[in-house]
Amino acid sequence: MSELNELAYWMALAHAAVNTSVKNDVLIKCFKEKKSVVDFFSMSTQDWNSVFGMNLADVDALSRAKEQLANNAFAVENLLSQGFVLIPSTSPEFPQLLKDNLKKNGCPVLLYAKGNIGLLNQPSVAVVGARSASEISLDFTRKISSKLAKEGKVVVSGFAKGVDRVALDAAVSVEGKSVIVLPQGISTFASGFKQYYKQIIEGKVLVVSAYAPKVPWSTRLAMDRNRFIYGLASEIYVAESNEGGGTWSGVMNGLKRGCKIYVRKPDDGEKNANRILIEKGCSPISLGGENVIEYPIAVPQMQAVCEEKAVYNAEKKEPKKRKSRKKKEATLDLFEAEDNQT
Amino acid sequence: MLKRQEAECRLKEIFGFDHFYDDQWSVIEKVFNKERVLVIQKTGFGKSLCYQFPATQFNGLTIVFSPLIALMRDQVTSLNNKGIAAQCINSNQTQEKNDAVIEQAKKGELKILYIAPERQGSVSWQEAVRQMKISMVVVDEAHCISQWGHDFRPDFRRIVDLVKILPVDIPVLAVTATATQRVQDDIQEQIGNGMSVIRGNLLRENLRLFVVKVKSENEKKIRIAEYLKNCEGSGLIYTGTRVNTAVYADWLNYVGIKAAMYNGSLEAETRVDIERGLQENRWKAIVSTNALGMGVDKPDIRFIIHTQMPQSPIHYYQEIGRAGRDGLPADIILFYNENRDDAGESFDEKLPLSFINNAKPKIPEYEAVVEALKNEPLGERGVMEKLNMKQTPVRTILADLVEQKIIFKNDGGKYEYKYDAPELKTESFEKLRLAKLEDLNAMIGYVNTTEPRMDYLRKYLGDKIDIPSSNCDNTNLKGFLDNSLHSDLWTNLKTFKNERFPELVPKKTSSLDIGYALDNYIQEAGEIGQILHHCKYENGGDFPDELVARMARMVQKKLSAQHFDMLLYVPPTISGDLVKNFAEKLTVRIGVPLSHDLKKMRLTEAQKIPQNAILKRSNVKDAFGFASPEILVGKNILLLDDIYDSGATMNEIAKMLKKNGAETVTPIVIAKTVGGDL
Ligand SMILES: Nc1ncnc2c1ncn2[C@@H]1O[C@H](COP(=O)(O)OP(=O)(O)OP(=O)(O)O)[C@@H](O)[C@H]1O
Ligand SMILES: [Mg+2]
Repeated sequence: MSELNELAYWMALAHAAVNTSVKNDVLIKCFKEKKSVVDFFSMSTQDWNSVFGMNLADVDALSRAKEQLANNAFAVENLLSQGFVLIPSTSPEFPQLLKDNLKKNGCPVLLYAKGNIGLLNQPSVAVVGARSASEISLDFTRKISSKLAKEGKVVVSGFAKGVDRVALDAAVSVEGKSVIVLPQGISTFASGFKQYYKQIIEGKVLVVSAYAPKVPWSTRLAMDRNRFIYGLASEIYVAESNEGGGTWSGVMNGLKRGCKIYVRKPDDGEKNANRILIEKGCSPISLGGENVIEYPIAVPQMQAVCEEKAVYNAEKKEPKKRKSRKKKEATLDLFEAEDNQT
Repeated sequence: MLKRQEAECRLKEIFGFDHFYDDQWSVIEKVFNKERVLVIQKTGFGKSLCYQFPATQFNGLTIVFSPLIALMRDQVTSLNNKGIAAQCINSNQTQEKNDAVIEQAKKGELKILYIAPERQGSVSWQEAVRQMKISMVVVDEAHCISQWGHDFRPDFRRIVDLVKILPVDIPVLAVTATATQRVQDDIQEQIGNGMSVIRGNLLRENLRLFVVKVKSENEKKIRIAEYLKNCEGSGLIYTGTRVNTAVYADWLNYVGIKAAMYNGSLEAETRVDIERGLQENRWKAIVSTNALGMGVDKPDIRFIIHTQMPQSPIHYYQEIGRAGRDGLPADIILFYNENRDDAGESFDEKLPLSFINNAKPKIPEYEAVVEALKNEPLGERGVMEKLNMKQTPVRTILADLVEQKIIFKNDGGKYEYKYDAPELKTESFEKLRLAKLEDLNAMIGYVNTTEPRMDYLRKYLGDKIDIPSSNCDNTNLKGFLDNSLHSDLWTNLKTFKNERFPELVPKKTSSLDIGYALDNYIQEAGEIGQILHHCKYENGGDFPDELVARMARMVQKKLSAQHFDMLLYVPPTISGDLVKNFAEKLTVRIGVPLSHDLKKMRLTEAQKIPQNAILKRSNVKDAFGFASPEILVGKNILLLDDIYDSGATMNEIAKMLKKNGAETVTPIVIAKTVGGDL
């Protein structure tokens, strides 16, 4: 079955009002039974209940999502005609790192993107920090971001004011590569697409969103999408964090996962939480000219806690051959770990 | 599932018909079965019922993509008369009406909604369709999907994609009356997903087919007039060019046959009025380009005449298809000028050949558009202005680039270059051109065939022929039109040509008064347009005195009621002093004093250079001045030029003259183009 013909179904699954883990369970089960999302939605609600062990509320929510299939088709066609790309989580284009990091409970089922989606599977770093960061932090951001971009790393950021925007523009100014992770639906970003038109068509900037295309910006989503920023990066650089803010909770999450997190070493008397993060196990760094000076960590980093099965932690057995790989194989790659474990 | 008997009870109740035709029922069964079907059945077969009936049985809404507003309107009216909740959304309706229809559809109050494919690109439609409950999708005139057909429309590309994405349980029905095997295969391949085909035969028994070979363009005019004097009912005359719609309509009216012209350059209001007039039999004949066609749903069109052979038998079959929908006889006449020029090229093949060979713009133009879009997103108009190009090639290029996924159109209507876009592939252009040349040869084959003409057309369309048909000049109707051979209209034609001075009717906002042209800009041997072209663009020397004499006669005939104080001429760009010299000779003959005081204040380009109206206007804006403006007060002025195209130059001059107090400014020119055929 052609992938095009599945996209409306992926949308239905992605935006159904059920927990992410339920959606991913559906995918895992479908994979095991060699079924597609189309097959899943063609099943009866009884089957959803008996085969998938779904509770009534979830069955109900998915039935409602199913009613939207034709409408989704119109939306998908409209998105594709405007050059957007839809990336289901079983696609080889889907960022492996995001699956590894967010796992069954957090990994989105579908991404919307515009630009060079190849960036999603390249070595990446997130440069993060508060919207209201100080000038020292912004200066650090500028320097670290352009340095990393020059080294060829993809700089992931969230297009928020302050650190995010500075990190992006610094990467762009040295012709580096960037991923913008939107806290809104992808079709609500017209002004941004205009602003980064050249970088996008040159393959330097990619814009992604995990939300329904028309969803407007909101503070809730601005908090929520931080997971994706952290999830898309193998290293995290924190310019400035306040206790309890979005940056903070993202870092805490990252630490739990065993992610390498660098924090700018604050000067004496700075009013922020950088020092506390260092005390919690992040690596303090500062910039001496072009060089990053890394200081010894204050406490040994805690071990990654395996609270849930690492369903998405597929083993990478062979280097990826993206284009030539068939879709079914990709699916296999995604769920093999689960198969091995059970 | 609904049984035929039960279904026919409901059919009777809702539509008033007793039975489905067998072919209709087999389609309807498939639709109820949620299948995807392509239906190829001749005009008037009853294709609409194949979706209209199921639509009344479904819970939700059936969306019908249809390329023609006129068609939508007719269908909606007839459905509403049967009490079926149907509406359409289109650009001819007011915003309020469209909004109201969308509201109805969202509330689930509609069964059938007709929309144009380009509506898919509208933000408000996309917003609305998210909230509708959709039961079926229909593609009317589905041949528009295929570039191998006679009426490929790039907007249908999106419909193809949509159908591919639609969930499996939404039935899709595509219908057309004209599809060759190749077009059928193309549609099937594009839509994919096991679309089945139901094809009926395309025989139209009541059409009487004739080909009339003539020796000149004049002979066509004579024989058409003779035919119309004697025939019953009303019908259509198709000319190959816009300019000939004007010439033929004028000629017929001149000999007392009521005719109206119709072409794409007319304003929407005028077009609607003519369409209505056709329904009301206001004229004996409408003379039209193929802009009028698919939309015409008049049951009793009694004749369809072509003054020029179309590009292919499929074009021809489609254009004649509108005749005799009531099943009564209709005459179908194709005129063919056997004359060949010195190079041995057939006169009547030139026009279709040039259509085919110029269908695609030059490759560097494609590249220029791509480069411009790499720089910034631009709309169609933006591209025209940036690159000084005409609308038609820009449209073609943008559509091809979208088709090849090199660019796409964003929500704001601007075209963007795509990251990682493929290279432009041009082999397909050449393949298409060669295929069209083959089609043209098949059309020439129709002119020369000795077999039953309907069979020739049907074979071309992929129809199987069991019994040879008749009803044409190769069979039982030999010599039927010969009575138009001898005519006393030849002298009329001569005076017509001598005395026909096309009116220059400036736009309402123009500063010009009504004026006249010696002729239309017709590029045929011996015509004024060709003489002009030769002098102006091929260094052919001064315009001949014969034209001066003719212009004097025109002023005397058309403008003798007015008094003129002075004769001015449009200052030259490249054509040197041609117009000035002409004016110097003309002033003597008409006795209106000549003034040389109209001057260009800055350099402008020849108006042939700016390729579109927007740039033409800005090219001449504030470009003219008058040496001693005070003398203009209260003056009536004759303003002379060679060609009147968009009228931008003469309008700009008139504006300046009137600002300085001139009373009237009457334009006179040698040739007037029709709809930008310069
Ligand atoms: N089963 C039927 N019984 C009687 N009349 C019918 C039946 N089906 C259709 N008709 C009538 O036939 C006429 C032509 O139908 P319709 O407009 O659908 O033709 P069409 O195939 O769409 O032709 P076109 O190619 O010109 O669009 C209509 O007046 C319609 O009401
Ligand atoms: Mg029809």
